[in-house]
Amino acid sequence: MSAPTMEERKACWAARDEFWRCLDRHTEDAQRCEKLRRSFESLCPQQWVKHFDKRRDFLKYKEKLETEGFHPPETAGKH
Amino acid sequence: MALLPARCLRRVPVLPPASRALSGPRGGLPPPALPLSRRVAVVAVVGGFAGGTWLYFRSRKERELRERRQRELRALALGQGDFQLVDHLGLPRSKADFRGQWVLLYFGFTHCPDVCPEELEKLSRAVELLDGDSALPKVQPLFITVDPERDDVEAVARYVRDFHPRLLGLTGNAEKVREVSRAYRVYASAGPKDEDGDYIVDHTVIIYLLGPDGLFLDYYNRSKTAAKIAESVRRHIETYRPLLD
Repeated sequence: MSAPTMEERKACWAARDEFWRCLDRHTEDAQRCEKLRRSFESLCPQQWVKHFDKRRDFLKYKEKLETEGFHPPETAGKH
Repeated sequence: MALLPARCLRRVPVLPPASRALSGPRGGLPPPALPLSRRVAVVAVVGGFAGGTWLYFRSRKERELRERRQRELRALALGQGDFQLVDHLGLPRSKADFRGQWVLLYFGFTHCPDVCPEELEKLSRAVELLDGDSALPKVQPLFITVDPERDDVEAVARYVRDFHPRLLGLTGNAEKVREVSRAYRVYASAGPKDEDGDYIVDHTVIIYLLGPDGLFLDYYNRSKTAAKIAESVRRHIETYRPLLD
């Protein structure tokens, strides 16, 4: 299986960005963005979909930290 | 003259000449020796001198910091030793082939989702900026794979085509490629394979600058823009002094 070409990469990134914009509009409600999700999954290799999903989670988490501040989980830190 | 303050109307006793100055309108100060414009000029010159001295020491300090960093990087001796790889045209390449050239080196892999294309775009852009200055020698952009299992000569050739025309891709025998990554302290770890056998290689994302003596001189991470990289490379080229005898 050869690596995606530049055109394929760009098509994948565009589909990802459209999907993410949809999520932004519907505050992460994945149901409303089904069609774009399917398009994203079809244009990107599976490994990339997983990679970008993780990236999205991380970006959302970072945003949360920046706006809400850090709340350590209650059960953390057994001494 | 009702506007004059009361004390001016009081009769002032006649004082001996030495203390006459003390009761004058300037309250004890000697009369000004220079007119205002001259005093401004003196302050400007003194200020300019002080400012100049400060700037000189600051630039000296910056130079000392840069030189110390260069010595530390050289002591790190990153990328020492030879390598035996194959370029994307199938020709054998060793480290010696790049002596005399300035090299911007990036480690990546062709199945990379986004980081590698972005960094190679940036690297290409930096080289383009440097190409624009005819006074500088042409910098050699170099790509070395961290995924020799999949990135054979053909795969690398297909990949480098999309970036700067001078971008040279290197691959080769898996063990030899791993040796080079180790020599440059590049972390690379292949992730789990999926049903298609596809996987992502987690790796250090850094662009290395190598000088004409083949030694590592500087590095640029994700946050450095193409313009900043070009500016730094230009400065290295202009201030380069070979350290190896």
